[in-house]
Amino acid sequence: MTGDPILRMVARFAVPLTVWVSIVIFMQGHNMPGGGFIAGVMAGAAGAMYLLAFGPAKPSRYRWWKVSVCGLFISVMTGTVPFLLGRPYMQHAIWHFDLPVIGLYELPTATFFDLGVYLIVLGTLMTIFVELAQEER
Amino acid sequence: MPTLELLLPSIVFVPFVAAGLSLWAGRRLGQRSGVLMVLAAAASFVQCLHLATGSAGARVMFVHEWMPSLRVALSFCGDPFGLFFALLISGIGTLVGIYSLSYIPKLAPARVGRYYASLLAFMGAMLGVALADDLILLFIFWEVTSVTSFLLIGFWYEDEKARKGALTALLITALGGLTMMIGFLIVGITTESFSLQALAGQAALRERLAASPLFFPALLLILVGAMTKSAQWPFHFWLPGAMVAPTPVSTYLHAATMVKAGIFLLGRFLPIFGGAPSWAGILVPIGLVTLLLGAVEAFLDTDLKGMLAKTTVATLGLITMLYGLGAAGQDALQMLAHATYKGALFLVVGIVEHATHTRDIRQLAGLRRQLPITFVLCILAALSLAGVWPSVGFLAKESLYAQLLGGGPLGSWVPSWLVLGLTVLANAFLFAVACRLVFGVFLGEPTTHAQRAHEAGAGLWLPPAVLASLSLGLGLLAPTTAALVSHFSSASRTALHLTLLPDHWEPLLLSLLTALVGIGIYVGRAGLERMRDQAQGAPTMQLVWDRLMEAVTAVAVGFSVRWQSGSLRWYLAGSLVFTVGLSGLAWQRAGISVLQVPVSLQEMTWYGFTLCGMLAFTALLVARSTTRIGAAIALTSNGFLTALLFVVYRSPDILLTQILIETVSTIFLLLILYYMPTFRPEGTPPMRRLINVAVAVAVGFSMFAFIMLSTSPQFREVKNLAADYLTRSMAEAGGANAVNVIIVDFRAMDTNGEITVLVLVGLLVYGLLRARRKSA
Repeated sequence: MTGDPILRMVARFAVPLTVWVSIVIFMQGHNMPGGGFIAGVMAGAAGAMYLLAFGPAKPSRYRWWKVSVCGLFISVMTGTVPFLLGRPYMQHAIWHFDLPVIGLYELPTATFFDLGVYLIVLGTLMTIFVELAQEER
Repeated sequence: MPTLELLLPSIVFVPFVAAGLSLWAGRRLGQRSGVLMVLAAAASFVQCLHLATGSAGARVMFVHEWMPSLRVALSFCGDPFGLFFALLISGIGTLVGIYSLSYIPKLAPARVGRYYASLLAFMGAMLGVALADDLILLFIFWEVTSVTSFLLIGFWYEDEKARKGALTALLITALGGLTMMIGFLIVGITTESFSLQALAGQAALRERLAASPLFFPALLLILVGAMTKSAQWPFHFWLPGAMVAPTPVSTYLHAATMVKAGIFLLGRFLPIFGGAPSWAGILVPIGLVTLLLGAVEAFLDTDLKGMLAKTTVATLGLITMLYGLGAAGQDALQMLAHATYKGALFLVVGIVEHATHTRDIRQLAGLRRQLPITFVLCILAALSLAGVWPSVGFLAKESLYAQLLGGGPLGSWVPSWLVLGLTVLANAFLFAVACRLVFGVFLGEPTTHAQRAHEAGAGLWLPPAVLASLSLGLGLLAPTTAALVSHFSSASRTALHLTLLPDHWEPLLLSLLTALVGIGIYVGRAGLERMRDQAQGAPTMQLVWDRLMEAVTAVAVGFSVRWQSGSLRWYLAGSLVFTVGLSGLAWQRAGISVLQVPVSLQEMTWYGFTLCGMLAFTALLVARSTTRIGAAIALTSNGFLTALLFVVYRSPDILLTQILIETVSTIFLLLILYYMPTFRPEGTPPMRRLINVAVAVAVGFSMFAFIMLSTSPQFREVKNLAADYLTRSMAEAGGANAVNVIIVDFRAMDTNGEITVLVLVGLLVYGLLRARRKSA
């Protein structure tokens, strides 16, 4: 299943661009429209575009479900670590860093949870897409 | 000594550690992992012995807080009766371990490791049952014995009969255990104490329990637990069915320990429930029926292990009856006698099977020359089974008759002469079984099976030799035995009087009568067997159980087929109707009528109306489309028009989500369109259409009403969710995007559940598609 030349031409630029936008959306998610879920769906859409343009040969080399399991691990750990430290399960904190160049930087630990969500959505979408694309027609 | 109580958890948990070790090292150790079993059992035995001698009859308690809010504690109690049971478990465990070393054939090393691991875990759990003081802890160990015994009975899992026997045993004992737990909970909640010692020792607690209206249900539930475990009628049939287990397992579980757990529990609860008339009213007749049924069926069986299993059922019935009569002073004697001779007999049968490859008594005869040592051991143990002087079985029977004759108040509605008469009859049958074992298997002309037999090695005959000589020795040393069993009895205040030479003539007379009737039964066995053959096909409990299981399976299958039909429309309709119903419940609870909801459309401008019109049109197109691709396109247009709606009403966050989701689901739709079955909208029956319309209208109406309510000014005054989240978002979670903060922080637990489902769905799709491709 490979797409037509125009689609391939477009995809060569559009796929990296979409992934990049998805990362931006993920990073700004806590304060502006965005977040792990939407960013994950966007990255998945980029993956779908790649599959339509170039076929499943390359992406099927990877076990995409491992990405989502990894994400689940990260998400659960952000809940478990505060629990192990004696605080309620899933209680998030806000870390403050005083970095040399950037200055004061705020990092809520919820971001790690969000990263997990991102990886899970991406991994699950890609698992299903790659498997469906490999089906015999 | 302060360290003494620490032995209690050590006794129980050492076998569990060894079980883990055996599981882990089994692959390398193979056959030799049995050494772990022997060592762990011996270690527990020595510790029990040390505790028993060190405490000198006093109670040793180990209490560790576990769940204090639920009043559940990790507490063990080393009283003489518990220690007696623990000594029995660990002692016979050692012998069974030694026996298994020679008995278990060369198998895959991991499987042998698993066998010993199950056996060790079982032993640990049994020790836990014996020594636990807390009822919940007792229940946990109790169920662990059910599960491990399932694994052990089903050891030859290639055999269908083994699987069935294991499952029946598990279902009956585990269900009984659960019933028992409800009883425990009633006791614990009414008395506010889960400690057996406290319940038995404090009269105030018992009075509170007796005054409760739940006293009788609790008693009944706990008795069901004990009766299922100890194979009492009408639950007795699982025990003969469990004889498919390897013989060491049968010896250990079904002669010496597990089946005694039920009567052990009766002993524990006698001080708590014993005063109630229903106690004796239930236990005496049940015990009596079990005793007689077991003894008669044992005599008529042809399978050696089946015979022994049924005599075990009989003896368990006897002890149940004794507890019903309140004669707790005998329990240790009866249990000790039974464990020694029945353990020895099971192991002897194991040797016979090992040597001849059959357990059918009709194919066996004349083994005395080929298996001389086994023959002697069998005679020694059978003497005890028959209750012949000077074995310990004789002492037990004399003591039993003396008890029944001397009577005392038999607090039961069964007349005492009937109890005595039936007990003598049942014992006569047991006598006949003993005759059949010795004469049938070892005497007479050798059969073809017998001629090929060879005597087993010392590893096989040594364990039964120990038990058989104990069975004889305990009889010869009657005064010592008396002191021992009086000390270890659950009613340790009553001293039992036993002598080698009987000093009362009435019990002796009854013993003689028993023997005479027994010989008569043995001689007239042909007639009895004819009667058995005629009665073939009569309804038994096993049959009733099988029918019950079939019915349960049929109901489950019927329900699943109808409810989980595999039709996506049915699932969708089901969940939508459920949602509507749930929201209806919410309306009703809030006391708001749906018709009172203020409908305000002033924020709808002309372009809002236009968009909504287009949305309705595309939705109608989806429903009216005659091809799948047409429906897919209409659905996609509907989705993007919805996105446009979010543009108009300036909600960038949801807009972004909507566009992305719409894109991805369109790709999905196109990818799977090819595999969908043929689309036949005209084939839908009118009734089905009507239901579909009704569901659609209900969902639309319900959602509309909810939106109108939540955006109405009155509602906002009560609780303005949006403003609430917007203010808390920055202050508490450090994020300005309230939508995302809700997802990852405020409602993180919900998200956690959702992402877990997502991962599982991904794995499922992966697995299903891979499997399909592989099979194609």
